[in-house]
Amino acid sequence: MKLYPTTALLFVALSALQACGGDSSDAGAPDAASVTATRSVALLTSGPVSDAGWHAGAYEGLRWIGDSLGFRISHQQTRTPAEFDEAFISYAEAGYGLIFGHGFEYQDAASRAAEQYPDVTFVISSGSRPSANVVPLIFHLNEATYLAGMAAAAVSRAGVLGMVGGVEIPSAKGTFVAFEAGVRAVNPDATVLETFIGNWDDVSAAKEAAAAQLRQGADVLIHNVDAASFGFFQAVREAREGGREAWAFGMNRNQNDVAPDVIVGSAVIHIPAMFLRAARAWGAGTLSDEVLYSGIAAGAVDFVLNPAREGVIPDDVLAAIDRARAEIVAGTLQVPRIEFVEGEGGAGPEDPGVQGDPLPS
Amino acid sequence: MTVAARLDSITRRFGPVTALDKVDFELAPGEIHGLLGENGAGKTTLANILGGLLAPDAGRVEIGGQRVELRSARDARVLGVAMVHQHFSLVPRFTGFENVALFNGEAWTRRGMIAPGYRSQVEAHASELKLDAELDAPVAALGVGERQRVEILKALMSETRVLLLDEPTAVLAPQEVDGLFAVLREVAAAGTAIVLVAHKLDEVLAVADRVTVLRRGRHVLTEEAAGLSAGELAEAMVGRAVAAPSVSGVGSMGGGEGERGRPGGQTADGGGAQPSGEPDSTPVAILADVTIGAGEAPALSDVSMTVHRGEIFGIAGVDGNGQRALAAVLAGTLKPDTGAATLPDEVGWIPQDRGEEGLVKEFTITENVALALHEKPAYRRGPWLDWARIGETSAALVDELDVLARSPDTSAGTLSGGNQQKVVTGREFLRAGELLVAESPTRGLDVKATRAVRERIVQLARTGNRPPGVVLISADLDEVLELADRIAVMVRGRLIPVERDDHNAAAIGALMLSAGDGTP
Amino acid sequence: MTPRTRARLRPEFLATITATAAVVATMAVAAALLALGGHSPGEAFAALARGAFGTWDRFVSFTLVRATPLLLTGLAVAFAFRARVWNIGAEGQLHAGALAGVAVALVLPGAGAVLVLPVTLLAAAAAGALWASIPAAMKTGMGVGEVITTLLMNFVALFLAQFLVQGPLRESRGVFNQTDEIPAAAHLPALLPDTRLHLGFLFGVVIAVGLWLYLTRTPGGFRLRAAGASVKAAEVSGRFSVAPVIWLSFLVSGAIAGLAGWIQIAGVTHRMYEGLSPGWGYTAIAVALLARLHPLAVVVTAIVFGALSAGGGAMQREAGVPEVWVRGIEALVILAVLTADRIVQWTTHSRD
Repeated sequence: MKLYPTTALLFVALSALQACGGDSSDAGAPDAASVTATRSVALLTSGPVSDAGWHAGAYEGLRWIGDSLGFRISHQQTRTPAEFDEAFISYAEAGYGLIFGHGFEYQDAASRAAEQYPDVTFVISSGSRPSANVVPLIFHLNEATYLAGMAAAAVSRAGVLGMVGGVEIPSAKGTFVAFEAGVRAVNPDATVLETFIGNWDDVSAAKEAAAAQLRQGADVLIHNVDAASFGFFQAVREAREGGREAWAFGMNRNQNDVAPDVIVGSAVIHIPAMFLRAARAWGAGTLSDEVLYSGIAAGAVDFVLNPAREGVIPDDVLAAIDRARAEIVAGTLQVPRIEFVEGEGGAGPEDPGVQGDPLPS
Repeated sequence: MTVAARLDSITRRFGPVTALDKVDFELAPGEIHGLLGENGAGKTTLANILGGLLAPDAGRVEIGGQRVELRSARDARVLGVAMVHQHFSLVPRFTGFENVALFNGEAWTRRGMIAPGYRSQVEAHASELKLDAELDAPVAALGVGERQRVEILKALMSETRVLLLDEPTAVLAPQEVDGLFAVLREVAAAGTAIVLVAHKLDEVLAVADRVTVLRRGRHVLTEEAAGLSAGELAEAMVGRAVAAPSVSGVGSMGGGEGERGRPGGQTADGGGAQPSGEPDSTPVAILADVTIGAGEAPALSDVSMTVHRGEIFGIAGVDGNGQRALAAVLAGTLKPDTGAATLPDEVGWIPQDRGEEGLVKEFTITENVALALHEKPAYRRGPWLDWARIGETSAALVDELDVLARSPDTSAGTLSGGNQQKVVTGREFLRAGELLVAESPTRGLDVKATRAVRERIVQLARTGNRPPGVVLISADLDEVLELADRIAVMVRGRLIPVERDDHNAAAIGALMLSAGDGTP
Repeated sequence: MTPRTRARLRPEFLATITATAAVVATMAVAAALLALGGHSPGEAFAALARGAFGTWDRFVSFTLVRATPLLLTGLAVAFAFRARVWNIGAEGQLHAGALAGVAVALVLPGAGAVLVLPVTLLAAAAAGALWASIPAAMKTGMGVGEVITTLLMNFVALFLAQFLVQGPLRESRGVFNQTDEIPAAAHLPALLPDTRLHLGFLFGVVIAVGLWLYLTRTPGGFRLRAAGASVKAAEVSGRFSVAPVIWLSFLVSGAIAGLAGWIQIAGVTHRMYEGLSPGWGYTAIAVALLARLHPLAVVVTAIVFGALSAGGGAMQREAGVPEVWVRGIEALVILAVLTADRIVQWTTHSRD
């Protein structure tokens, strides 16, 4: 077995590295004492922070926390639940007091780690199980997609609209339910198509799904496929180049710049702002043990028009959208949603969790 | 005198072994140069150095008067040195023609297609050289002899200054050997120098202009063939006086077997076994109207034979005439499609291709011996293999057969051909209580190893109270004539018995090339 | 180097020097890349080593836990490859085993661990074997190459898993695409107290020893090695038919891979969901090849891969190296090991 010398060599090399790592641990590595001296915040994402969407927003929020609050920050991209547990434990052991798990998939691992580390606060985006130190952060993006649906119905000439989703999870499904409701508020007879491609990053699958809906007659499309949205926009762009009038709506972040030629507007979550608020509240000791609900009223989500496409939406519809927005803020308009937080009934449109400054535009 | 190629004081080592020790070698254009030596004498190493496959540790290589450094076979090919290996380098799935084209750059157009006229060029060249090469069947379907013809044609399609042939005659019928030599003479007459690595002294003497003998990596002699006898050459190769096997058979063997096996001669029998060829001894294997395959060319067609205790039944024939199927049927691994085979429970089988079939090269000697033992209850302990026991058997075998190996744990792939065959032979003897099938058992072996293997086979069939029957299947007619008590010839799946009066090369050779229906 | 000095140096010594040089050179490239990207190489590698071996708990709870699925799938691949059965389908067999284990665990909610654990493990092994039996039948029956069939069966398994967790096996709340949590009786107990290491790792080690004994000490294992080294020699000189050997290697390989999937769930995640495996069934091929298909060596190489993976997480957390970089560095380290390994092999076997 000639293998053993080689493997032994690797172990020697690694141990040597570990030995020389001893010097540098003061400099960069977080030994518990030095980290707790300042506040430390960590973020876990299950996808790349270069997706120009869901994960990018979280990473930007982490950067804001570091820049404006002076907290120590760290990020890890994880792939499997074994890694989720590992990462939560590692951060908790290293003295990180606030750990964001950006996605429902972190809920189980966070609940386990929360029992083990009661002094650490875990904020889980789209989480479903609150506990003493696990805080679900729910974005009522459906309020924004409702407004997008109104706009879409006004833009569509065919009366056929399409929705391309990633994985069929409640938070994604909820945005589509509200979009469809918004469409019907303007055009009750419209047809709305729905496709889920089963993942968040298959660009060609997203393109195929969008193209298929376009072939079925849809002329206005919205997506919720995160990193795969590049393919989605490409399909709409190609339809336009082929001489059809087709439009798209962005999601999660303000994507109006991603494809300004085809995007009418975007349903936006201000993830960075929400992260910053949560961190600030945590720093001040006022972070609620409950669920952080955040919709238009809190300034956490909104529908943003693409200035480059002004005039596409008729003025009367714009006025109707503004009225709807005001009603949502006032609590007189209930936008349909899908509940997934355990033990919570239909929580109202008010935002009990975060009371903070209005968002910067 | 001009020189086609020259090796000057070449030394080559493999680890602690010096394969070539300051060897000089010179080739004149148009000569046929026999290169003789035992296995391990260094003749293949020498050929490989000239063919660009090995770099010498010291010494100079000159081709066409220029000093060259050959880094690959391709380098050598560019300089006009072509090589036909003992183990052929053909792509099994490709047809003969595709193989010829694949290795010859001029066959190809710029766009990577085979040039339209190339096929007729190949056919013309083949008929010019009287090489009857099968061009349309996949090489995998061809017998060893047929593959060799493709291989030679492949080598000769390009401009060739030096042609290296490693043991080319081992698998050919006598008439084919003559045909090959005619081809070689024609090629040489056109100015190509031919190196014939060989072990059959008679053949070398028949065709070569000059002969070089190597022994243990050293140059022993280079002389005109005309002045040499087989005895002198054998002595030069082995370093002491021996009787060359193809001349005097196994006469040097102890135990009183006596002189036997001259073509057409009467068999003396000192071992107390039955006079050979007489059907009054016990049959150990009977085939009755065995047919394998169907249609135009069945592998075996109505083959009937009876093998008796203590006899050596020789099967002659050109490779690819059904011998493989016959061996597999006799060994019990192939069931007849029609007809009946009555066989002993266990059969020793020395297969034709010892490297691929006879041995697992990655296995040690002991593990290779275990191939025959692993099913036997005596070599098990509960669910486990009794490796200690197997090791004892294997060590005894290595000892008895005089296998040159450091230990039974030596990997079989590192053994020389002769030693590999000794291992296979020894292992199959363990199984040959009733019947041994030996397929070309001395192919590619040197004088000494050939003698040893033949002695062992004869000894097996002649000694003891219940000696097994032996079926010797060989394309080497001399071997069959020398060893066999009865002879039959395989032609196109048919087995044609040969009358005792016809036990000579001319008669059998004619049968070997006949249509298989009994007419020449 | 002249032939003379080369002959004098002991090959083992030479191999060690060359292999070390290869490792150092590759690490230097990795370090240079890190530096170019604005990360401190020393800090990054230190984080890597600390994450994998820093403390006993890190080694046990991180490295060994991560090594467990690689160990099992690596053994599955190594065993099949020994018979020259190119089973690229460990990924699919893993999913088949995971689904079967979860399904059985969920229909036996009231039963105790004594019953549930053996039954679920058996179900997972059987499902993995069943999944492998289709390529096995196609190979032995129709001569269809298993590289293609096992690979394609992976996609079938992945889509089947996706369908089941979105449909029949979806959690009872019907919200997320995952199964319900398996009952506590189906959880694999901890192997070492106060660590996350579960019994699955021990299973892997036991299976490794078992396979090693089988391959080296039993007639069946001997036949399998012979058939793997040369089918012709097995049939002609070994006088046995190769088809049963191929079947056995498919089934055992599939069963072990199936166990890998269920053990990951029973030991770590406690539920099944889409994307259970990040490609363990494929990484397993590298694990097995680096171990030269030796079952005991697979234990070592799986731990090496587990250490790299655990250390990679630490590299992100502690040195701020982004994930894509970490994957690149991991690949370079594996490359270094493979190169060194090949050099050792090459220098010590250069006599032919």
